Amino acid sequence: MQGSQQLEEYLLAQLAAGERTATEQIYKQHYPVVTKWIQHNGGSEADAADVYQEAIVVLYEKSQDEAFRLSCKIGTYLFAISKHLWYKKANKRQQDPVSLPDDDRQEWAYEDDVNAHRERENYYAQLNAALEQIGEPCKSLLKAFYHEDKSMQEIASGFGYTNTDNAKTQKYKCLARLRKIFHNVQVK
Amino acid sequence: MPRTPQEDIPQRAGEITEVNMMTEHSMMEVAERYIAGSLSQDELNTLKDKLATDLSFANEFGECVNMLRGLQSGGAQKRFSNMLKDIAAQEAKPVSKGRTITLRAFYVRTAGIAAGIAMLTSLTTYWAIQHSNKKIASQYSLLKRDLEKYQRSQNQLINNIKEQATAPQAEVRYTGTGFALSNDGYLVTNYHVTAGADSVYIQNREGRYFKAYTVGYDQQADIAILKVEDKMFRFGKGEVPYTFAPNKRKLGTKVYTLGFPQDEIVYNEGYISAINGYQGDSSQYRLEISAYPGQSGAPILDANGNVLAMITGKEEESDGTTFAVSSKALARLVQSLPKDANLRLPKGNKLNHLSLEQQIEKLEYYTCSIKVYKK
Repeated sequence: MQGSQQLEEYLLAQLAAGERTATEQIYKQHYPVVTKWIQHNGGSEADAADVYQEAIVVLYEKSQDEAFRLSCKIGTYLFAISKHLWYKKANKRQQDPVSLPDDDRQEWAYEDDVNAHRERENYYAQLNAALEQIGEPCKSLLKAFYHEDKSMQEIASGFGYTNTDNAKTQKYKCLARLRKIFHNVQVK
Repeated sequence: MPRTPQEDIPQRAGEITEVNMMTEHSMMEVAERYIAGSLSQDELNTLKDKLATDLSFANEFGECVNMLRGLQSGGAQKRFSNMLKDIAAQEAKPVSKGRTITLRAFYVRTAGIAAGIAMLTSLTTYWAIQHSNKKIASQYSLLKRDLEKYQRSQNQLINNIKEQATAPQAEVRYTGTGFALSNDGYLVTNYHVTAGADSVYIQNREGRYFKAYTVGYDQQADIAILKVEDKMFRFGKGEVPYTFAPNKRKLGTKVYTLGFPQDEIVYNEGYISAINGYQGDSSQYRLEISAYPGQSGAPILDANGNVLAMITGKEEESDGTTFAVSSKALARLVQSLPKDANLRLPKGNKLNHLSLEQQIEKLEYYTCSIKVYKK
């Protein structure tokens, strides 16, 4: 048991770092159980896959916090989060409300994680909305740096700046502008 | 682990000493280096001084830091999601047959629920409060704890060095107690605890500081409702476990309280000794329970985990006579808040079948120390 826990911790650390192999392993391992449950509870195969992916993103977000430690098995966590996500999604569609398998609230103990995830998504969406409004070259430059993880050297040559320092100056100007727009977006 | 931006930004010692001259884009640069942890100790100290003394700068700087963190974590998450989609496309058909996973009781650590886009400092000043306090007769003493008298360092409670950035810089002037109205950061304390404050922080069970602002108050009843700024903040892992008594309880009802007369949480018990409070004030109870400075704003609960009242003050000559504003007055203030505050008092009582010790254990998450800073 000790060994399997270590393995889980290792996998989780790898997932937190965005490593593909570990993420793939986690994805494959728990896919059948979770998606089967969703399909048993009124979801299509596509629903199941969507919800399951989102649950892994929630796990990823949690794992970004250095203080985060696994308090249960990865599979248990993903299953609980998936149920929660599916429950919300199904109710939103106003189909027959999904009935909980039992009244054990423990299964729904991760409500906070799901809510935090929603708020975060919302925040990112607002940031992206601001980014869409900022205009060129700022939009492409900031996307290249933050979304595509390009280095400033790559950006400097890609965008035709004479040197990295110029590209950096431009980046900071863009960020200052983004902040103004973002602030207005948030106020709305 | 969170991604940091390129760290090839040249280290220029003393650059931010002339912080007044700081243009907006160099503020972004400092914020970026602050997040990456690449500021020198000197620069960091200068920055901290500036943050502590210049509130509008602190506000803007906090915005920059939050936005940059959002961009970084948002970008990383986008890349992760894309990778997942790619994996999903590849695995269109699941191969292995799943094994059964049993659900067991589990608890997630509350640590780090507030992580992510942590707010640094952003000052929303809602106080248009006139400083004339309500008439307080001399026998009535308020229970906020004046730290100048106690000379205690609150800062030693911050055990995580990284957290220091979010800890308040100026010296604490008063402390009080507060307790949660909702898990997402609404809480209540006494008006007199936060009145005239420059800034208010709460300190949660783990010793972490979170900035809070006032969303509403009732000076007469001595109630203030605060909200933690950080949107990711949660008191505990579930909704608030206690409910608020809609009506006054009977004379003699046994009650208990948890508060912060010192840095550590303290339990006390007593009973309702009169249905009306100081000089017959019907919005209050009179209690026989000992209370000390720092316990202003502490919840008064009955044996079933219903909040009956909140401690506001005590009779000066006696040791045990304490006054507490009733939950009814509190509910009235909650109802008067603007709709967009979206605050509803908790409805489900999760404490009523628990032993006292178990109740306290749960309550500790939802009770916090309040630190008030004044210049």
